[in-house]
Amino acid sequence: MALFARTTFLLFTTHVGRIFVSRRALVCIALALLPALVAAAIAHFSRRIDAVEIVVYLGGIMLLQIVVPLLALIAGSAVVSEEIEDRTITYLFSRPIPRASLLFGRWLATVMFLGTILAAATALLLLAASTSKVASDPLDAALVRALFEAVLMGATVYSALFAVAGILFKSPILVGLGYTFAVEGFLANLPGGNQSLTIQYYLRSWMLERGGRAWKVDGLELDKPEAVAGVLITLGMVLAVALAFGAWRITKREFVLTS
Amino acid sequence: MSAVFVAHELGRWYGPVVGLNDLSVSVPGGVFGLLGPNGAGKSTMLKLIAGEIRPSRGTIEVLGHQPFANREYFRQLGFCPQQDALYGDMSALDLVSFLTRLHGFSAVESRRRAASALERVKLTDSMHRRTREYSKGMRQRVKIAQAIAHDPKFLVVDEPLTGLDPVARRDMIALFGELGRAGVHVLISSHVLHEVESLTEEILLLHRGRLLAQGKVHEVRALLSRHPRKVEMRARESRRLARALLALPEVSSVAVAPDGLSLSLETRDVESFFTHLPEIALAERAGIESFESTDAGLEAVFDYLIG
Repeated sequence: MALFARTTFLLFTTHVGRIFVSRRALVCIALALLPALVAAAIAHFSRRIDAVEIVVYLGGIMLLQIVVPLLALIAGSAVVSEEIEDRTITYLFSRPIPRASLLFGRWLATVMFLGTILAAATALLLLAASTSKVASDPLDAALVRALFEAVLMGATVYSALFAVAGILFKSPILVGLGYTFAVEGFLANLPGGNQSLTIQYYLRSWMLERGGRAWKVDGLELDKPEAVAGVLITLGMVLAVALAFGAWRITKREFVLTS
Repeated sequence: MSAVFVAHELGRWYGPVVGLNDLSVSVPGGVFGLLGPNGAGKSTMLKLIAGEIRPSRGTIEVLGHQPFANREYFRQLGFCPQQDALYGDMSALDLVSFLTRLHGFSAVESRRRAASALERVKLTDSMHRRTREYSKGMRQRVKIAQAIAHDPKFLVVDEPLTGLDPVARRDMIALFGELGRAGVHVLISSHVLHEVESLTEEILLLHRGRLLAQGKVHEVRALLSRHPRKVEMRARESRRLARALLALPEVSSVAVAPDGLSLSLETRDVESFFTHLPEIALAERAGIESFESTDAGLEAVFDYLIG
């Protein structure tokens, strides 16, 4: 266990320094800034949409349903697959390290990266929305806190799922895009019990339960939201199962590289 | 000396493609070469030895361990893969230090070992530059440095001299010799016979996934010289030359092309043939413009050996 913790930490510290200066990071940052830019444009030009509506629609739909899964896909799918594609995994897997530490070390670095840029993107969105000249209730703390929490939880869970996809599939980006749009995008917006099969359902439940009435709008409201404890337990279990499965698979799998 | 590497009926295939088939071998250790043309199964064997893949059948033991994902074994292994892949955004020193730390050394000790390994491969002057700025030869030397920095007991290197200039080749050959003398078992894979010959006498010959021979290089050399070789020539007086060459006992056939200038012949003893050729060419005033041995490659030799 000490070896696992030590190796995971070493891989984390090495990767976290590299991920922030990678080309992938530039793509992620550009994508993360989109909701704030749209919010700034609406706040500047619109005479009808107030600050709360901007945050609810752009935060709840654009940021949480599109940007968070896509960023998690771009960064998360690379956790292991980048080492496979770059053929550098050989250097790591011919060392006396627990193989699963590669998944955990690099995934934790990815979560830190995603957490940083998504927290900054959410803060910029709130800032941009607050410049709206349309009179409205002030942005209350519960709403803001719920958005931050949902964004960070979403980034954590999605990135773990996509990191595992990177171990299982040759083209994790394609698989991830299929999942993001077909399962998360489609299923989460169909009324009925199917919604509970998506991560989005739990993130929206979280915002509804923790963020107050502002989130109860068309496109975000759920028939039967999950309670806060249920959200934490379910997302925690999804995370644990995904990482445990990924750890098992990476330990057993052969990574046959071709020159 | 106990065997460093033992395989019994070892086989590995990728779907319908056979990488290695029914290979039984015991290698006593020291410095030894793994030789074979492209597609012979060398890379598959190295992947098995480096613990990257499992056998499809049979068994393999290296230093008494089954290699696949075996941490105890990896402590003693240094592996320099063939692929030209490094972390391009890291300097050679950072890269080798990082990989050495994965062996459990402290940050300070890893950096000291990395600097020492890079010095051994003559990269000290550029070890702070990012590896993406390196030439192919420099990257090759980084790969060797990362494989030796932790003082492995068994060093496995795949095509180590590829991309190196003559001076660097000489340095690397000296380094492998030095490691061998220090008691490190070294396995060097190559498809170039003379490359391996400059490193070791002991070789394993693979062809089409099978072990063809195990032994000394000079034994293979002997097979090489007995292998009938084709020689293509162009000469002003090719017909006269052909008649004279056919009288040599080592020449089995000669054919002159319709243009009357080119001729091709087959010889059973290429060394003896090339010894006699200048004398005959002079006597016949043949005016040889060019000549080449067209099937001197390892592939041709292996094809000959397996009949």
